[in-house]
Amino acid sequence: MIKKFDKKDEESGSGSNPFQHLEKSAVLQEARIFNETPINPRRCLHILTKIIYLLNQGEHFGTTEATEAFFAMTRLFQSNDQTLRRMCYLTIKEMANISEDVIIVTSSLTKDMTGKEDVYRGPAIRALCRITDTTMLQAIERYMKQAIVDKVPSVSSSALVSSLHMVKMSYDVVKRWVNEAQEAASSDNIMVQYHALGLLYHLRKNDRLAVSKMLNKFTKSGLKSPFAYCMLIRIASKLLEETEGGHDSPLFDFIESCLRNKNEMVVYEAASAIVHMPNCTARELAPAVSVLQLFCSSPKAALRYAAVRTLNKVAMKHPSAVTACNLDLENLITDSNRSIATLAITTLLKTGSESSVDRLMKQISSFVSEISDEFKVVVVQAISALCQKYPRKHSVMMNFLSNMLRDDGGFEYKRAIVDCIISIIEENPESKETGLAHLCEFIEDCEHTVLATKILHLLGKEGPRTPSPSKYIRFIFNRVVLESEAVRAAAVSALAKFGAQNDDLLPSVLVLMQRCMMDSDDEVRDRATFYMNVLQQKQKALNAAYIFNGLSVSIPGLEKSLHQYTLEPSEKPFDMKTVPLATTPITEQKTEIAPVATSKLPEKLAPSRQDIYQEQLASIPEFQGLGPLFKSSEPVQLTEAETEYVVRCIKHTFTRHMVFQFDCTNTLNDQLLQKVVVQMEPSEAYEVLHYIPAPSLPYSQPGSCYSLVRLPDDDPTAVSCTFSCTMKYLVRDCDPNTGEPDDDGYDDEYVLEDLEVTVADHIQKVLKPNFSAAWEEVGDDFEKEETFALASVRTLDEAVGNIISFLGMQPCERSDKVPENKNSHVLFLAGVFRGGNDVLVRARLALGDGVTMQVTVRSGDETAVDVILASVG
Amino acid sequence: MGLLDKLSGWLGLRKKEVNILCLGLDNSGKTTIINQLKPANTQAQEIVPTIGFNIEKFKSSSLSFTVFDMSGQSRYRNLWEHYYKESQAIIFVIDSGDKLRMVVAKEELDTLLSHQDIRSRRMPVLFFANKTDLQDAMSSVKVSQLLCLENIKDKPWHICASNAIKGEGLQEGVDWLQGRLSFIYGGLFAYTYTLI
Ligand SMILES: Nc1nc2c(ncn2[C@@H]2O[C@H](COP(=O)(O)OP(=O)(O)OP(=O)(O)O)[C@@H](O)[C@H]2O)c(=O)[nH]1
Ligand SMILES: [Mg+2]
Repeated sequence: MIKKFDKKDEESGSGSNPFQHLEKSAVLQEARIFNETPINPRRCLHILTKIIYLLNQGEHFGTTEATEAFFAMTRLFQSNDQTLRRMCYLTIKEMANISEDVIIVTSSLTKDMTGKEDVYRGPAIRALCRITDTTMLQAIERYMKQAIVDKVPSVSSSALVSSLHMVKMSYDVVKRWVNEAQEAASSDNIMVQYHALGLLYHLRKNDRLAVSKMLNKFTKSGLKSPFAYCMLIRIASKLLEETEGGHDSPLFDFIESCLRNKNEMVVYEAASAIVHMPNCTARELAPAVSVLQLFCSSPKAALRYAAVRTLNKVAMKHPSAVTACNLDLENLITDSNRSIATLAITTLLKTGSESSVDRLMKQISSFVSEISDEFKVVVVQAISALCQKYPRKHSVMMNFLSNMLRDDGGFEYKRAIVDCIISIIEENPESKETGLAHLCEFIEDCEHTVLATKILHLLGKEGPRTPSPSKYIRFIFNRVVLESEAVRAAAVSALAKFGAQNDDLLPSVLVLMQRCMMDSDDEVRDRATFYMNVLQQKQKALNAAYIFNGLSVSIPGLEKSLHQYTLEPSEKPFDMKTVPLATTPITEQKTEIAPVATSKLPEKLAPSRQDIYQEQLASIPEFQGLGPLFKSSEPVQLTEAETEYVVRCIKHTFTRHMVFQFDCTNTLNDQLLQKVVVQMEPSEAYEVLHYIPAPSLPYSQPGSCYSLVRLPDDDPTAVSCTFSCTMKYLVRDCDPNTGEPDDDGYDDEYVLEDLEVTVADHIQKVLKPNFSAAWEEVGDDFEKEETFALASVRTLDEAVGNIISFLGMQPCERSDKVPENKNSHVLFLAGVFRGGNDVLVRARLALGDGVTMQVTVRSGDETAVDVILASVG
Repeated sequence: MGLLDKLSGWLGLRKKEVNILCLGLDNSGKTTIINQLKPANTQAQEIVPTIGFNIEKFKSSSLSFTVFDMSGQSRYRNLWEHYYKESQAIIFVIDSGDKLRMVVAKEELDTLLSHQDIRSRRMPVLFFANKTDLQDAMSSVKVSQLLCLENIKDKPWHICASNAIKGEGLQEGVDWLQGRLSFIYGGLFAYTYTLI
């Protein structure tokens, strides 16, 4: 960030940013003058600005230095300079999380918030709410309630917005302010009304009935504020979607009526809501599209932009509705606003015919260098979509992309291009060599480590299988000579794959490896040494296990297991099978391009969902000694939508046990449930060992109870089972307003839907990037083969989909995609069976009268093979 | 600043500003006392327990006071020390009716007086034995015994009985404080007087 600023400044001749060379320590030194009396507001103001600037640049402040500066700042409250005071509020908000004891300013802020000076009141409320936690909130509750209904709009708005922030932290307290928020919702001020509606909604959003009542009330009474209207539209369309309400619902009528609102913002919001709704008919769509069409020729750029952006987004979903606007879109191609032009062109690309592609691409090349990266990414996404639609155009597109790759551009843009090229390669095998060549050229001069490593990984995977693998070696080895550590390490791994797969290249790869073993970086040397030793063995199985397919365990899990092993030294060698598997399978380089906004790179290895479950379960004494958590299922709903209680179950599989986690929510505000358990009756020899109740379930606060079940020991192939489930609990009626429960309660129960355990719960997905190597590695010791007829299945696609979801295994080599117009297909699936052995499935499918399937299963463990065949048959 | 202003500053016409810390256990009446000392039109109607601190200003005949009225609740007492360095005097308030917590008050006072930022400075300490109107209130003499005030040798100190609700006894304390502070800064004043 800072670097970027520097660069810009150098270019623009420097001197434009007075803060550019700030030193944190010097600024903190200056901050000592806060302690001087009398206070010099002008100087102090300047120093606070510097501190906030540094914080916003991402400068790290240690707790001690931050606290010291914060306390010095608190002394500035003795000055009555308005600007200085407001700067103090900003500083408090910025430092709320990095300084200790920020509550020291509570009374001072409370005084300002209730004082006579209106300019202080709103900002003081916002600052106060940033430093307040649940326990302190009670102390200021009274003031908050008063502020919400204050007649000064800025005060009321500040209080409402701050309350909204605090809902996340102290729902129960903020809930008590509903009456005040109601009152504010009838304010004449458009902002206050909007903020009040926001708060009311967030307080009720978990209670559909309440939301729909609220909508009903406001859509009837009408609102002054266009912002509030827009929000109502959003709430209404969300509710429509959740309840799968038909378009005859009054909610739809309301949204539709907003198309005739006199405020353009509201009209746009309604149109956008309608076109984004799933399964809209052409008739329902028409009025919304004609509104957008009208906006396309508005003199206001913002409206044209909004309209074309929305059309762009829904172009794939409603091509015919969007083509109705083609003429208007054509007019926008030459719009002086390049963002609008880009969106118009890319929309036309998505909906246009194959013949118009060349013309549009030419148009866009004429100004692609003038538009911002964000819009270039939009162009790349359109190209990507186009390639899927018109595979024959891929060479035109590839050309265009390789030119874009050579232009200047930021990381997101370059990444979008690289992803797009990769997806083209994967879709069209004949474009593989051209694509790889472009990417090789790109990494010769690529400043983004992430992209370079990604491409090297791809080269390692695809290069050895091309007709002339040797030509990639030079590009890869150049990286070892020229680049940073991370890239060098990736290059070494790529080289190893060539050596492992191409016998004639092996001698030269070994020579190069030898040189890498002298690298200055530990990681690079370690990898080189490791690969060198593996390659020298010249064994296919070793190559498969250690070079092509790598580890499939969870990294945090491995770290923990190793740590544990070092704590309890033992004669036995460390067993990889005791390590939990990585859950989100490292997907093969995917075709989709993530939307720009959400595609942030994770800074470090975040624990996966399953790592989190593992922690949570390990903290429950009854579940100790179950061994590593093998698999956690996706949540299964055990209640219908809109029932009194909402229960979903997550199935956790261990080596010999299963733990069922029931996440329950009580949606009745006049009941408190206690000692909640879900009783389970198994259909097979599964044995329920323990119930761990959720102690208490107050209204709308989710809680979990658990059941521990032992898997049948005597028949290891009995993997599937059906459980009938009943929720049992003690009910205490309570006052809906205060939540105060009655003294006594009564026992009650609630029947839930049956819960199925299937073979998929016993198998974890694992991706084998090189399936045939893995197949050789496992060997045929326990190979079994059977043939089945899938009579009710009509297409190969359907068969493939069914098998994958039934077995819960990972498709490899992109074999989940059935090429068009084929009547036979081979599906490769990989997984690990509970206990830790790899299981591989090769399914040959032939389409005749129905689908015939020949299944071959391999594993290091016979049970796993039997389980698979038993459950398929 | 014009020459006249500067001159009047030298002459003591512009009031000298001093920073005061107001300390003492919670509920002892610190905020009530400071509120009483403020000009009538700026006084708060309602006093609530302080969280953190408040800054208030009031004037005596020759000084302009900036008071840091700190919170006395136990979990905030460790925050007092952030403000020691820049203060020129301390007001320490005791609830004369709270016999039970007199030892706590003494402990806090001892910790305060032995703090490195306070220990070696000759800063005046004014004690208010507050809430003397309460039925079972102790006398200021008794309070000073319980707190062992006679052991304070290196700082000028003074104790006043007070009733903050009525405002009784407060002026006496402030007059003493003003006297001590003028004495300390007296060297400077004396110098300016000789210039005339
Ligand atoms: N009877 C009586 N009550 C008093 C007197 N002074 C203060 N009070 C009451 O004592 C209570 C506490 O007073 P505060 O001024 O808030 O006490 P504080 O020392 O500022 O307390 P913290 O801010 O929590 O540290 C209030 O209810 C006052 O009305 C007094 O002289 N006599
Ligand atoms: Mg107080």
